[in-house]
Amino acid sequence: MSRPVSHASVIGSIIKKDLQEYSRDRLWAFLTVLLLVVMIAIFWVLPDSVDESIPVGVSGLGDAGTLAALETTEEEGLRAVLFGSSAQLRSVVAGDADAWKTNGAVVVIPNDSDVEKPAGAEKANVEIGLAFPEDFIAATAAGQKTTVEVFVDARVPDEIQSSMSSLVRELAFAVAGDDLPVDIQEPDEVYTVLGEDRAGNQVTPQESFLPLLVFFVLLMEMFGMSSLIAREVQSRTVTALLVTPATIGDVLTAKGAGGALLGVGQAVIILVAINALGHQPLLIITLMLLGAIMVSGTAMVAGSVGRDFMTNLLFGFVFMVPLMIPAFAVLFPGTASGWIQALPSYPLVQGLVKVSTYGDGWAEVLPDLAALFAWCVALFAIGWLVLKRKVETL
Amino acid sequence: MTEPAMKVDNITFSYGDLEAVKGITFEVAPGEILGFLGPNGAGKSTTIKILTGQLTPKSGKAQVLGVDVTADDPEMQAQIGVCFEEKNLYESMSGAENLRFFGSLFGLKHVDADDLLRRVGLADRANDRVAKYSKGMRQRLMMARTLVNTPKVLFLDEPTDGLDPVSSQAIRKLIKQEADRGAAVLLTTHDMNEADELSDRVAFINEGKLYAVDTSENLKLQHGRRSVRVRARDEGGIKERTVSLDEAGAGDALRAAVGSPGLMTIHTEEASLEAIFIEMTGRGLEG
Repeated sequence: MSRPVSHASVIGSIIKKDLQEYSRDRLWAFLTVLLLVVMIAIFWVLPDSVDESIPVGVSGLGDAGTLAALETTEEEGLRAVLFGSSAQLRSVVAGDADAWKTNGAVVVIPNDSDVEKPAGAEKANVEIGLAFPEDFIAATAAGQKTTVEVFVDARVPDEIQSSMSSLVRELAFAVAGDDLPVDIQEPDEVYTVLGEDRAGNQVTPQESFLPLLVFFVLLMEMFGMSSLIAREVQSRTVTALLVTPATIGDVLTAKGAGGALLGVGQAVIILVAINALGHQPLLIITLMLLGAIMVSGTAMVAGSVGRDFMTNLLFGFVFMVPLMIPAFAVLFPGTASGWIQALPSYPLVQGLVKVSTYGDGWAEVLPDLAALFAWCVALFAIGWLVLKRKVETL
Repeated sequence: MTEPAMKVDNITFSYGDLEAVKGITFEVAPGEILGFLGPNGAGKSTTIKILTGQLTPKSGKAQVLGVDVTADDPEMQAQIGVCFEEKNLYESMSGAENLRFFGSLFGLKHVDADDLLRRVGLADRANDRVAKYSKGMRQRLMMARTLVNTPKVLFLDEPTDGLDPVSSQAIRKLIKQEADRGAAVLLTTHDMNEADELSDRVAFINEGKLYAVDTSENLKLQHGRRSVRVRARDEGGIKERTVSLDEAGAGDALRAAVGSPGLMTIHTEEASLEAIFIEMTGRGLEG
């Protein structure tokens, strides 16, 4: 004889059953383990530091002033590569020739040449070139106006291109020395770094990869859960649940909680494996939990509309790809516009970056948590309503 | 007087413009089996969905164990068992795991899955995944699942559909046992013999309308022909004659026929449930 049963007990039973089913689905179990291993491996393969110096080709400076000038530029994060002539420099920046560094000298070999590269030479990837006139030092010292040609590869970002004029002024100052008789302007603008100055401590590829890694875990959670929900709907086992003391609220809560548990569990495994829980672990787990609940909402929608594995996969991608954009934006800075802030996943990614990259705490991340919570409620509510409607029409 | 386990009073239900249930009324007492007979699309499954709280009636009132079915009362749900027409089982789980999971939803700490599976002839397949079960085995597991909470009311939607004669007989025996235990049973079927064998009363439903609710015996008496067909060997070969029991002198005619030296067979000519169904609704039970 049955006895009164609590909602918590019913929800617990359904979650247990769902996790059992999930673990027995060989495809998802395999993909989940594979993803975890691959993602962790990729993370550790990525560099954990950044080469912050930019190679700049220089021609026309005599040996006398060059050394002093170079020391200055290296302090500014620029690495000078000396070329014999402006023509050589132009051809290398234009991509018509390759520059090879050997024993301090640079050998330029045109692309259409049969000449082999010097033994033991290292390729110099020069995308910016500064061709100084032969009389640059003398003219600068004399306070005369002179012209420096700047060659820039089209792929170099605008902000770096525009900084070249400042660099030329710096070099002129360094070449001319303290007693410069001419009026060399300081940079027009003075930049003040807000927050933590990351100069010399740039965001590493590992740090940039973290949000994407987390999203892949959530993606797997989404596919796994939507697959389970779709199966439950298609095989109508959900109707068998609803003629027991389990209410539709119990079933939906169990689906959401199970999905969140799965997502957070996998995320914690990954975060531990990549040693990312050292700072503010509770805050990171809270962010992950909200993210997982948000994704559970999309899983409910995908599971309700998907009819089989392929349509489930299709709808999963349709919902998840937009959510992954902010994570890609972190990996490839400068690729996305301001509109990505309107995406539900933005506060999650923003929060993660703040905590893991900039070492922020609860106070700084609170606005992101609030926004994420609001999105979480909205997406989960949509998922709940869509799945409820689907179940009621079975 | 015993309270009915199921009380349905003039309920209606529509799927959009289609009226699936048109004001049906009936009751089922504890320990009684009511055979719900009708062709596909007659409204049988819709009625079960209403009574199990899956659908809300458009009008009318229905109670199960004294509780309004629209109340979504877990106490009531805990005392019913539903055997669906579709085999909605968890395929990646074994038969025993399916039973234990559903038992946990009823708050049962311990489910004697082995006993339930033994009762439906699946004891030796208890730990096999349902995905490996045949259609008949799944149907038997469905029946076992229905009984997991020892329900007071059973809703059985085509419980022997797709089963071989031996398995069907085993399930019928189980249904009888449950009724003997005191469970009220609403059994939908379009198998006339099954309904006749199992049901204390039968209800004819077609196009959402209830045409009759009575015992098979009464329906046969009311609608069948009261006659006896006698076959006897005669000098010229085999002779057959029908004696109407409603005619004057029927007793003498019957005695003469039975006393005939060449008597071979005597058959009563009572109507079958199917014939009565066709007579009342104008259509057959199949399809």
